[in-house]
Amino acid sequence: MTTEGTQRKIIHIDMDAFYASVEQRDFPEYRGKPLVVGGSPEGRGGVVATASYEARKFGIRSAMSSKTAQRLCPEAIFVFPRFDAYKAVSNHIREIFRRYTDIIEPLSLDEAYLDVTMDKKGIGSAIEIATQIKDAIRTELQLTASAGVSINKFVAKIASDMNKPDGLTFIGPSRVEAFMEALAVEKFFGVGKVTAAKMKSMGLHTGADLKQLTEAEMIRHFGKPGKFYYLIVRGIDNRAVQPHRETKSVSVEDTYQDDLITKETMLPELETLSGRLSKRLERHGLKGRTVTVKFKFHDFSLMTRSLSLSEWINDHESILDAVKIILEKATLHDKRVRLLGVGLSNFDQQHTDEKQLKLF
Amino acid sequence: MRFIVSSSTLLKNLQLVGGIISSNTVMPILENFLFELKDNTLTITGCDLETMIKTKLDVQTELGGEDNNGKVCVTSKILLEYLKNLPDQPITFNINPKDYTIEISSNSGKYKIGGEKTDEYPKEPNPENANTLTLPSIKLVEAINKTIFATSSDTLRPAMTGVFFEMNESDITFVATDAHRLIRLAYTDITPSVTGNFIVPRKPLQQMKNWLPNDDSAISLSYTDTHLFIKTNHTSLNCRLIDGKYPPYRAVIPAENPFMLTINRVDLINALRRVSVFADKSTSQVVFDIVGNTVTLSAQYTDFSYEGNEKMTCQYNGEDMKIAFNAKLLVEMLNNIEGEEVALELSIPSRAGIFKPTEKVEQEDLLMLLMPLMVNI
Repeated sequence: MTTEGTQRKIIHIDMDAFYASVEQRDFPEYRGKPLVVGGSPEGRGGVVATASYEARKFGIRSAMSSKTAQRLCPEAIFVFPRFDAYKAVSNHIREIFRRYTDIIEPLSLDEAYLDVTMDKKGIGSAIEIATQIKDAIRTELQLTASAGVSINKFVAKIASDMNKPDGLTFIGPSRVEAFMEALAVEKFFGVGKVTAAKMKSMGLHTGADLKQLTEAEMIRHFGKPGKFYYLIVRGIDNRAVQPHRETKSVSVEDTYQDDLITKETMLPELETLSGRLSKRLERHGLKGRTVTVKFKFHDFSLMTRSLSLSEWINDHESILDAVKIILEKATLHDKRVRLLGVGLSNFDQQHTDEKQLKLF
Repeated sequence: MRFIVSSSTLLKNLQLVGGIISSNTVMPILENFLFELKDNTLTITGCDLETMIKTKLDVQTELGGEDNNGKVCVTSKILLEYLKNLPDQPITFNINPKDYTIEISSNSGKYKIGGEKTDEYPKEPNPENANTLTLPSIKLVEAINKTIFATSSDTLRPAMTGVFFEMNESDITFVATDAHRLIRLAYTDITPSVTGNFIVPRKPLQQMKNWLPNDDSAISLSYTDTHLFIKTNHTSLNCRLIDGKYPPYRAVIPAENPFMLTINRVDLINALRRVSVFADKSTSQVVFDIVGNTVTLSAQYTDFSYEGNEKMTCQYNGEDMKIAFNAKLLVEMLNNIEGEEVALELSIPSRAGIFKPTEKVEQEDLLMLLMPLMVNI
């Protein structure tokens, strides 16, 4: 939150090639080599989670299938992720952040926003804080991070990506508008391939082009996000750094070595996933009413099917019951399934259900 | 196949049957009406995966003609839309038995629909070894009206998503519950002379409510292990029964709630509607604070500092008590009880309250039960 007249100081920290860097730190034999953390290229299930900078030179990118990655760089080393190790590093990084501020919004294990408008140490300069955080990460963890410093989340995030790896980019208040004007539309948060193509077909290539449109025109062409783009090209992004983001949904998924073809073969996998989901929900003390099953087919097309219940649940059995109903009703057209996911949402915020007494 | 029919009569019958047809079905054939012509009787069928409705009407055919028999599937959407826009007049249907083309002629023009063959249309289930009873139509309509609203929408407990029918030698009982409330309605003047029970899904009950006559005309009700069959003179319905065990409802009805509160029903409904405006939206909680012959209804929504209070007079013979109910559920129940006053039987604040009409309808036993909300008072 900001009061009028005070400029916020926002830092976006992004670890460089996080999983791969942790592997290269822990296993010297991987250093200086193209390393891919993710699924195995054998069989045909895996995808790339993170590629080391050496591997990125060959065009290997996150979310690419491991098979493609191997074709691009046959000598690449493939290793499975060690989430426990990354989680431990992530906790350490957050501990470093907390030396400076408590307003931390983690986006994932390796990425977070920090609001340092009022930093704990009274340093005052966000650039100095970002430098100190980067130094602490380097000396305490032997890893590098890139930082973006600006007056709002949007600009800070784009800035952190500008001088990777080990970068620090500062876009000051006086430069924000000019920076946004020069920015290509596809760099805008939320602008995907489709919207970008639409913008380009309208002759809109940069922030400056977008600025020519009125707010009403932006909304007419791009719907609700249009308003966000309208403000953002003017350097206005009042989204607060949210330390306690409300959990909206929890889900688990698995990619399979061999495609699943029949519903009968999917059922035991869904049973396992439901159990994992239930454990996670119980750990977080969450109960939800909407169960969602996600199917990813061999052609990478996605389908999700949901079922909303009248009660809040989080136990394995109830989740599985709902999953079975969804599976039975789902029309899969005999398409081969490579990934299954089970999720729960629509959480019971106030535990209201506990108040209403029941007959059975 | 050729016949002449009044467009408004046809539309009325199509709408009766068409209520069950859904436009987004896994079996495209179910988006059709089935027309079957035999002599001068046209039978129209509509169905979804669990329910089938059939109705018969007289049409004009050529006496002794060769075209007086046949069947065809007609897409429901187009036909209904057309008839809704046509002023009442006789229209002629001409169906080519080879390619199922349907030609309709009216005073104003000619229309064509490509029909379909009927092989894939679901067959009527077999009512073999069915138990049968007859009852006045209005009784069944009332039983549906008074119970259906309390059924559950929880697909994980399918038995509770329907209404439970229970037949004994001496009476027939209808039960609905969603685990928070329970409605039990028994007719003692209907003697089924069979014993048995089954659960009917909500959708076919809704259909029955719409077409069963609101009078004493007799309807026949038959059931097998898997299906229910309802028949009036011209119309019949069959549906799949819910396969499941109904919860042990008798065990949860308190044998005796010693304290009785009597209060004007309509006044209570109105007061609840006003007070609940100020209640927590997620629980609709309204607290009944009963002291002597006064009950204070109160609701709070602390998030917004809303508060509502109303005092009402009542007759009460029990200990002073604070008990809370979900006002939304309660109003729904009170709306389905008849009479000027309603009796509320209570025991303790964590046990079910029983709601009954004070004026008993002869040979009808109606009980509504609502579980309270936990209050920290």
